[in-house]
Amino acid sequence: MRIAKERDLYEKLQILSDAAKYDVACTSSGVDRRGSGQGMGNCAASGICHSFSADGRCISLLKILFTNECVFDCRYCVNRSSNDTPRASFTPEEVCTLTMEFYRRNYIEGLFLSSGILVSPSYTMELLYQTLYKLRREYRFEGYIHVKAIPGAPAELIERAGFLADRMSVNLELPTAEGLRRLAPHKSRKRILAPMRQIQLGHARNRQELSLYRSAPRFVPAGQSTQMIIGATPERDYQILSVAEALYRNFQLKRVFYSAFVKVNEDALLPALPGGPPLLREHRLYQADWLLRFYGFSAGELLNEKHPNFNVFLDPKCDWALSHLEQFPVEVNTADYYTLLRVPGIGPKSARRIVQARRLGSLDFPSLRKAGVVMKRAMYFITCRGRQLAPLKIEEDFILERLLCRSSRKSGEPVSYRQLSLFDAGQLLGPPPAELDQTGVTGGDGYGSF
Amino acid sequence: MVLFECQGNVDGILTGIYDAWASRLGHGNVGLRIPETGTMELFAEYRSVAPDPEKAEKVARTIRRRMGERAWQTLYQAALSSRRDRADRIYRVLVLALAPGIGADMAGRILDRLQDPDVAAVFEMSRNVGNEAHRYLGFVRFQELSGGILFSRIRPENQILPLLGDHFSNRFPRENFVIFDTGRRDALLHRAGGPWAVFEKAEMEELQPGRFSAGEEAFRKLWKGFCQSISISERENPRLQKQLWPLKYRKWMTEGEDFLSNHRTSSP
Repeated sequence: MRIAKERDLYEKLQILSDAAKYDVACTSSGVDRRGSGQGMGNCAASGICHSFSADGRCISLLKILFTNECVFDCRYCVNRSSNDTPRASFTPEEVCTLTMEFYRRNYIEGLFLSSGILVSPSYTMELLYQTLYKLRREYRFEGYIHVKAIPGAPAELIERAGFLADRMSVNLELPTAEGLRRLAPHKSRKRILAPMRQIQLGHARNRQELSLYRSAPRFVPAGQSTQMIIGATPERDYQILSVAEALYRNFQLKRVFYSAFVKVNEDALLPALPGGPPLLREHRLYQADWLLRFYGFSAGELLNEKHPNFNVFLDPKCDWALSHLEQFPVEVNTADYYTLLRVPGIGPKSARRIVQARRLGSLDFPSLRKAGVVMKRAMYFITCRGRQLAPLKIEEDFILERLLCRSSRKSGEPVSYRQLSLFDAGQLLGPPPAELDQTGVTGGDGYGSF
Repeated sequence: MVLFECQGNVDGILTGIYDAWASRLGHGNVGLRIPETGTMELFAEYRSVAPDPEKAEKVARTIRRRMGERAWQTLYQAALSSRRDRADRIYRVLVLALAPGIGADMAGRILDRLQDPDVAAVFEMSRNVGNEAHRYLGFVRFQELSGGILFSRIRPENQILPLLGDHFSNRFPRENFVIFDTGRRDALLHRAGGPWAVFEKAEMEELQPGRFSAGEEAFRKLWKGFCQSISISERENPRLQKQLWPLKYRKWMTEGEDFLSNHRTSSP
C-alpha cells in the first residue's frame, strides 16, 4: 500500500532506520584515511563505536534504507511487497543533510546506505550512486561509507559506487541456494555471487593500480562483507561455517555477518522459533568466525558431519581443546606462537606479548595475567616453567565440570550474548612477531645522561 | 630517601624525572611523588619540583632517541593516567631502559618485559588511558552554539584531551570546537583552519554554553529517535548495553538521557 501524504524528516528517519535495523553490519573499520583538510571527516582502521542501542549492538553508522518500497516479496523480510507497512523514501539531499549534521556532532562514524528495490535493481542502484556522489563531491564528506551493491544492477554502476564507498556488501541472505529458492523467490544465488565476484576482482585490480600510482582513486578500500540469516532454514552450523570459510577463501571477504532470524512476518514457510531469535547459536558462530580469521582454525577442525552443531555450553575453542587433550598442556615459555593461539584464554594479543616478554626472561603465572591471558580458562591447558597453576588433571570430564561450574556460578542468568561486530580491523592471522635478540638486560644502577 | 614532588601533568612529571636523575643521589635513594597523593612518608626528605618545559623537552627527546617513538607513546600515555604512582613507575622503567650497556634496539623493548612490576604497571596505565581515549573518540557529543561553535563536555578519568586533539582537528578541520574536561577544567580548543591546543584550568565563563543554534534541537530529536528505532526489540539486552556503554558516559551524551536507568524509555 502506498501512503500518499508527505512525511516529515523525523517520520522518514523513524521508518527507514526501523526498516534497516535487521541488517547487522554496523562496523566502521578497515580503512585508515586522514582528512584532506578541505572537507569533513576521516576514518580510523579500528572502527569507532559511537553508541549502543537497547539490544546491546554498537551504533557506529547512520544505518538507513534509501527507501523501504520494494518490488520483491522475500518471505523473511519486513519490507516484502505484500506487507502492509508504512512506506517512505528519502531524497539524496535529506540523506546528505542527516549524515553531515549527525557527523558534525560526532553522533556517527559515517553512513550505511541500503535500500529496498524501487522499480528495478538498476534504478535503485542509480539512486544510491547519486546520493553518494552528492555526499562525497558536493558536501565533501570524507567519513566512512558502507553501501549495498544491489544484485542485478549493471556492473558499471556498482563499479562507480565502489569508488565512492569505503565498504560494499552484497547479502548472501541465506546460507544455501536451496533456502534462497524457498524463501526469496525473486533472488538467486548466482545473481548474488556475481556482484560479489565483481567487487573482489575490482578490489584486486585496484590494489595493483595503487602499487603503481599511489594517488590512484581507491575502490572499496575497506573491502566487502556479507551477511546470512541464521535459523530461518534448516542448515547445520557445519554447513554455515563452511560457507563462511569458502567466502573468506574464494571471495576475500573482510567479514561475514550472521543474523539470528527474527520472525517479523507470518508465513507458513518460516519456522516458529518459540524461544525467540537463536541468539546463542549466532554467538557461537561469531566465536567460530573469529577462530577462522585470527586463530588459524579451519571449519573442518571445529565441526564435522558427525558433530554438525556447536556445543551450547562451551565456546568453540574450549570445545576443540577438550577433544584434543593430547596436545595439552602447553609450556608457555617454549611453545611457538601458533600453538599458544590454540590455548583457550590466550588470544592474538596475549600470545604476541608472551612471545615478546619471554625473550627477556622466563614467565610466571602473574605475568601471564598481566599479558592479558584469561587464567580461568587457560589454567587447565598450560604449564609455566613446567608447573601447573594448581594440581589439575588433563582429563576431559574434570576440566569440563570446572569450566561449566565456573561459568554458571558467574551468572545465574541466561548466557549473555554479545554482538561481536566491533573490532574487525585486524589482519587475517598475521605472521608471528619477529624473534627478538637474546641480549641480556642488566638492571644496573648506572646513569645515562639526558 | 629523597622524594621529588612534581606536578601531575606531563611537563611536571618529566621535569621531576630530570631533577631526580640529575641529583645523582642513586636511583635507589630517590622517588617521585605527585603531591595530591595524601600521606607523607616519614624519614624522607621532600623536594618540590617546579615544572620546566625545557627540562621536560630534554627528557622527552632522550626517550624518543633511545627508546623509539612507540615506547615514547606508551610512556606519554602512562603519564596522562590518573594513577598516583605514575611518575615513580615511569622513572623506574627509564632506569631500566637507559642503563649503560643497553643498546638502542634493547631500550625500547624493555617495555615488553611484563615480568617486571614497574613495566607491567606502566603498560597497564598506558593501556587504560589509551582505551579511555578511544572510547571518547566515539562518546564525545558536540552541540552547536548560536555562533556555529561546536561545544562538548566530558568527564574522563584520565587526562585524555591531548589524545583527542589530532583526531578531532583532522576530522573537523573547518570547525571551531571546544571539548571541556569538567573534572579537571581543562579545555581542548580548535580554531577552523588552525592548530589545536589544550588549556589547563580554563575559565568557565568563556566556555559557558550560551544559546544553542536554531537547528540544534531538531537534530537532537532526530538522533534520539534514531537510537530508539534502530534497536531490535526481540533482542533487547540492557545488561549487554550497560557492559559496553557504562552509565558514567551517558550523562554527557545527547542520547544518554534516554538511557540513564536500565529501563527503556519511549522516544520523545
